[in-house]
Amino acid sequence: MDGRQPIVRMSGSDTVHAVEVTTRDMEGLPDARGDSVATMLAADYGIKVGGVRVNLGYLIKAEMSQDEVERSVYDLFADPVIEIGSSNEALLNSNDLFPHTPEAVIQVGFKPGVTDNAGQAGLDGLITLYPRLAGQSQVATSRTYMFWGLPEGTNPSELAAMIHNPMIERCAIAGADDCASARWPSLGFPDRPPAVFAEPAFVDLEVSDKQLEEISETGLLALNLNEMHAIQAHYRDPEVRVARESLGLPAGAPTDAELECLAQTWSEHCSHKIFAARINHKDNVTGESSVIDSLFKTHIVSPTLDIQKEVDWLLSVFHDNSGVIAWNDEWSLCMKAETHNSPSALDPFGGAITGIVGVNRDILGTGLGARPIANTDVFCFGPPDYTGDLPPGLFHPSRVFRGVHAGVRAGGNESGIPTVNGAMVFDERYLGKPLVYCGTVGIMPRRLSDGRESHDKTPSSGDIIYMVGGRVGSDGIHGATFSSLELTEESPSSAVQIGDPITQKKMIDMIIEARDTGIIQVITDNGAGGLSSSVGEMAELTNGAEIDLEVVPLKQAGLSPWEILVSESQERMTVGVRPEDCEAFETLALLHEVEATNIGEFTDSGAFVVRFADTPVAHIPISFLHDGCPQLQLESEWTPPQHEPFWPPSMSATGMGDVLSRLMARPNVASKEAWVRSYDHEVIAQTVIKPFCGVNHDAPGDAAVIAPLLGGTQGAVISNGITPRYSDIDAYSMAAASVDEALRNAVCVGVDLEMIAGLDNFCWPDSVESTKTPDGRYKLAQLVRANRAIDEVCRAYRLPCISGKDSMKNDVTMHGEKISVPPTILFSLIGNHNDVRKAVSSDFKCPGDHIYLLGETHQELGASELAYMFRDEGSGGIGGEVPRINPERNLAMYRALTSAMSEGLVASAHDCSDGGLAVALAECCFGSDSGASADISSLERDCNHLDEWGALFGESLGRILVSVSPEDSDAFAAAMKGNSCSRLGTVEVGDEITVSYGDTEALQASMSELKKAWQGSLGG
Amino acid sequence: MSARPRVAVISGFGINCETETMAVFEMAGALADKIHVNRLVNGEVSLDDYHIMAVPGGFSFGDHLGSGRLMGNRLRFGLREQVRDFVRAGKPVIGICNGFQVLVKMGLLPGDDEVSLTQTASLALNDSGHYENRWATLEFDPDSPCIWTKGVSRMRVPVRHGEGKFVTDDRNLLDQWAETGQLVARYVDPSTEYPGASDEVLPYPVSPNQSWRNIAGVCDPSGLVFGLMPHPEANHSTWLGATWTREETEHGEGEGMAIFHNAVEYAASRM
Repeated sequence: MDGRQPIVRMSGSDTVHAVEVTTRDMEGLPDARGDSVATMLAADYGIKVGGVRVNLGYLIKAEMSQDEVERSVYDLFADPVIEIGSSNEALLNSNDLFPHTPEAVIQVGFKPGVTDNAGQAGLDGLITLYPRLAGQSQVATSRTYMFWGLPEGTNPSELAAMIHNPMIERCAIAGADDCASARWPSLGFPDRPPAVFAEPAFVDLEVSDKQLEEISETGLLALNLNEMHAIQAHYRDPEVRVARESLGLPAGAPTDAELECLAQTWSEHCSHKIFAARINHKDNVTGESSVIDSLFKTHIVSPTLDIQKEVDWLLSVFHDNSGVIAWNDEWSLCMKAETHNSPSALDPFGGAITGIVGVNRDILGTGLGARPIANTDVFCFGPPDYTGDLPPGLFHPSRVFRGVHAGVRAGGNESGIPTVNGAMVFDERYLGKPLVYCGTVGIMPRRLSDGRESHDKTPSSGDIIYMVGGRVGSDGIHGATFSSLELTEESPSSAVQIGDPITQKKMIDMIIEARDTGIIQVITDNGAGGLSSSVGEMAELTNGAEIDLEVVPLKQAGLSPWEILVSESQERMTVGVRPEDCEAFETLALLHEVEATNIGEFTDSGAFVVRFADTPVAHIPISFLHDGCPQLQLESEWTPPQHEPFWPPSMSATGMGDVLSRLMARPNVASKEAWVRSYDHEVIAQTVIKPFCGVNHDAPGDAAVIAPLLGGTQGAVISNGITPRYSDIDAYSMAAASVDEALRNAVCVGVDLEMIAGLDNFCWPDSVESTKTPDGRYKLAQLVRANRAIDEVCRAYRLPCISGKDSMKNDVTMHGEKISVPPTILFSLIGNHNDVRKAVSSDFKCPGDHIYLLGETHQELGASELAYMFRDEGSGGIGGEVPRINPERNLAMYRALTSAMSEGLVASAHDCSDGGLAVALAECCFGSDSGASADISSLERDCNHLDEWGALFGESLGRILVSVSPEDSDAFAAAMKGNSCSRLGTVEVGDEITVSYGDTEALQASMSELKKAWQGSLGG
Repeated sequence: MSARPRVAVISGFGINCETETMAVFEMAGALADKIHVNRLVNGEVSLDDYHIMAVPGGFSFGDHLGSGRLMGNRLRFGLREQVRDFVRAGKPVIGICNGFQVLVKMGLLPGDDEVSLTQTASLALNDSGHYENRWATLEFDPDSPCIWTKGVSRMRVPVRHGEGKFVTDDRNLLDQWAETGQLVARYVDPSTEYPGASDEVLPYPVSPNQSWRNIAGVCDPSGLVFGLMPHPEANHSTWLGATWTREETEHGEGEGMAIFHNAVEYAASRM
C-alpha cells in the first residue's frame, strides 16, 4: 500500500471518507493527549519516550461529495483555532506538520459492533450539518499514536499491547521501516458481519442427565442439574403440554428463547440462589449444628422488617431496584450499589462505565422514577506496584486501576452526577477479579401531582410496554449468566459492553419529565437479562405480559428472537404507559431525541408471552418463571483458620515514626487525591462535606454530606465501610467492622442517628463445595458468619438494610491457576443530616485545640494493616486478636458525640480505621498544616494488656479522634460523660507530631515528611 | 425589585447543571425556566419572551469532537438568528463551563460588535491532560464593561473541567481583548494582595489548566455576554465552600451569587 495515495476507501456500496485531526503546533499549546500517553508509559511500564503525538481519525460512511466532506472538517471535526484537519489525506504525509518521521505509528479503533460513543457524536454532528444523511450513515473513530525517541529495542507490537485492548479494539502498526517509507497504518471501516437470523428452535430436554448438563454448559446457561430437571418436569406436565399445543409451540420442549429466559431469571446474578439456599451449618468451635432456610430472609430481611415496625420512614425495602426512605414530608431518597466485576476484568474501562451508568438506571427505575443525585465508588484491585507473576490473560493491576477509574470518571462526570464518596482497597487476591462497586443515591418527590406515591409502581393490565433509549445489539448477550460463572480464558467478549452516558442522559431527562407529567405507571431498567428480565419482572405485578420482538429497534439487522430477548444492550428502560397517555409519551421522546418503541402490553393472562410478528417464541407461566427454581441445598462448616502471630519488634520513638511513615505510603492508606480529583464531586451544587478538606484541600474526609434541596439546610450523609482483611481471621469481624466503619464515618460528620439505612453488597469467592472448590464448606461458613454479624450489628445500631446485592463467583481460573477474592462486604450507608451548617470535617482547626480519643482501644492487631505491612516486609504473620464489636457501647458514644456536634462543641472528628490512631492523628494534622502532642498512657484504662503497638496502630472499632476548642472542652467532656473519652493532647503549631506513653516517648515524626510519604505512592 | 426578569436556562443533550443554574437565578429574584434546545428550534418557545439566557455546564454530547462543539453547532446552525437578535437586543447571556465552551465555539465569545459568530478563541485540553475538580480563586477586571461582574473583586469557586485552557491563534487579539476589558476573570494566587492578576501563567494548581494569561472567563465587547470555566453557581451558599468548616461564617448566600444578582438587577432595571 502506498501511504501517499488519497485514502478514499470503498466498503460495500458506500464510500468511506476519512477525516483526520491533530493539535496545531503553537507555543504554549502542548499535545496533551500525547503527553498523557507518555506519562502513562513511564508510570506503568518504565518506558521513557522522547515524544508522543495523537491524531484523531473519523471514518465516515455516507453519501457525501468531497466538497461536503471538506466543509465538515472545520465545521465539525476540527477546531479551527487549535487543530489542523484533513479530509481523505493522511496528516502524516505533511512535512510541515510532521517534519520528523516517527519511529513507530500505531492506529487503534474499535472492533465491529463495539459501542463507539465519539463516532455516534460525530454522526449526530454530521446530521446537524447535513440532515439528509440521517438514517443510513455511520461514523467510526480511531486514534493514531506517533512515537519519537523510543528506547533502543522497543518492539512496536509490545507498545501496541500497552495502548489497546484486543478484546474490544483493533490496531494497525507501522514500525520504523514502514514509517521510513511512509506506509502508515490504516484501519478499514469496522463493518459488522451480518447477523444470521434463526427461527425459534426448541431444545429437546428428554435426554440423559449428562446431556442436560452439557446443554447448560455449552449454552452458557449456568443452570445446575436440579434446575435442568425442574425445567424438564415443567415441560412434561400434561396441562402445560395441552396449553402449548393450542398456542402453536412445541408441546414437550422449551424453545431456545424460553430456556434462555429461564436461565437469565434463575441465574445466581438475578435470583441470588446461594442467599436463598437451605444450609446445613456446623460450627466446630461451639458444636452448633443447625439449618438455615435462606440467609437473605433470616439475616438481612428480618432485622429490617422488625425495625420497620418501629419507624415510619422505611418506604420501600428490598423489592424494587433500590431501597427508598422518606427523607422529609416532600421528598424521599433511595440508594443502590452494584458490582461489575467480571466485565471490568476483561475490559476495565467498558466494564466500569457500564457499571456506573447501570446503577444509575436502578435509581431511574425505582418507584415511578427517581433522579440520580450522587454516586459512590469503591474499588478492590491487586497492588498497583505488583511485581510478581501474572497468569497470562490478566491485565496488570495498575492497568485495571487506570481503566476502571477512567470508566467511572467518564460515566459519572458525563451524566452530571457527582461522585461524592468512595474507597480503594488493594490486595493480591484481587489480581484475578477486581471488585468494582458503584453506588447511586436518588431523590424523588413523595407524591406526584396526580396524588400517586412515587415509590409505588401502579401498572394495570392493558398498559402499553415501551422500550426506551438505546437499541438492541449482539453486545451483552449472556452477561447475567456469565457473571454467575467463574472467569476463564474462554470467557466471551460479547459479555463486555461500553456504556453510553449521553444516550442515557437524554433518556433520564425525558423520563423525569414524563414522571412529573404523571404518565408513567411502571418502570424498570434493562440490565442483566435484558427484556426477558425487565418485562418478566414487571409482568409479575399484573400477572402477565405479551411482547412482539419484531418491532424492537436493533443496532444490527438479523438478530434472532432469543438474542433480542436476552441481550443486555445498555441505556434502555422498560416503561408501562396507559393507552391514553401514549401520544404524550411519544411526543416527549421525540423532543428529547430518545427512541421509544411500543413493544406490547401488560396482561393478566398468567403468562409471559413473546412473539416475533406472528410466530410464537415463548409462553412461560409467571408462577413458574418466578417461583419454579428449586432451592439449593448446601453444607457449611466453620473451623477458625490458624495464622502465625504478629510479633512487633522493639523500636525507638523515631523508629516508630518511620514505621508510621511506611504505613502512610501503603496503597491502602495513601492519599488517592490524584485520582479522586478527576471525578466531579460537586455538580448539582449540593456537596457540603467533600472528599477532601483542610486548609490546602488535601486532607481526607470521612462521609459525604449533601444538601440536595438547593438553598435548604437539611442534608443527607453518604458513607462506606469495607474491611476485607479481617475475613482472613473471621468473616464475622469483617462484616461487623464494615458496618461500623460506614456508621463511624457518618457519625464523624454529624449524621442523624434516628434515620440511617444501609446497603449490604457481598462479593464472595465460590462457596459451593465441588471439585473446583474443595474448601466450599469453609467459604460458606464465612458467609453464614458474615450474615449473622450484619443481622446482630444492624439490629443494635437500628440501621436497617434497604437494598443490597451479592456477587458469589469471584474466582478466576487461568491456565490452571485459581485466584479467589477474599470474602468482601461493602456496607454503604445513607442517613439524614438535620442541619448541614452543623456538619463537622476531619481536619484539626486551630493550634491549642484539645485532642480526644473516643471509644475503647484494645490490643487488636490481628489482620491489621500494620501486621500485613510487616508480613509483606518479611517478618511475622497476621494472626492475633481481630477487632471485636460492642455495638451497644459504640452507639451510646455515637449518640453523645452527634448531640455534642449539634451543640457546636466539636471542631473536628475523624474515624480511626486502617493504621489506627497514629494514622488518624497524622491525617488530622495534614488538614491544618500543624503538629500535635499526645499521651496515650490513659488508653490502658480500657485494656490492661495494651502495648504501644496496639495503642498506636491497633484498629479497634468504634473509635473517633476529635478536637475541641479549649473554651468548649469542659462542656464537651460533660457531654461525653459515661462514654470512653480520653483527652490525649493538643494541636500544636509547627511540624512535630509527638506521642508519649507517660514519660516515655513513643513516636516522633515530622508531619510534612509523613504527608510526603502519604501523597507520594499513588500519584496519578 | 418590582419586575422579575425571566431567565431561559438551556437544557438537553448532556447539559447537566441546569438545576443549580435555575436555582441561583431564582435566589437572585428572577423566574427561571428550563428550556430544551429543541423547544427553541421547533418554535414551541421563543427567546423573545426572556430577559436573560444561560447556557449551563455539563458534558453536552459527551465532549466528543471537542467540548461544546456539537452543542455550539446546534445553536449556530439551528438558532442563529434567535441568538443574534437576543444579543443585539441588549439582553445578558452567560455560559458557564460547558456553556462557556459552547459560546466560544459558536463564536459568540469573545465575539465582535457585529455578532458575526466567528470563532476566534478556543478552550484546549488542560495541560494535565485530564478532567479535574478543585477550588480556585478568581480576580475580576474592575475596568471591564462586563455587567455580570460589576463591583466584584475576587471570588472562590470550583473548577470542574478537562478542557479549560483558553487560547487563541492570534496573540494580537489577546492584547486587544485586554485593552477592551474583555479578559474579565482570571485565576489568581489567593495569598496575593488585590489587585494581583498577572499575565504570566501561574503555577499549577493556582491555575488549574495553564490557561494563557490565567484567563478563566471573558466577555464580549458590550459586556453583556459573559462566559467562564469555573462554577460560580456552585458557590450559592456559604456551606458549599471548600474550607467553610474552618471559617467563622454568618451562614447565608455564597460568594458566587454576586454574579447572578448583577445580571438580574441589570435586566430588571431595563424592564
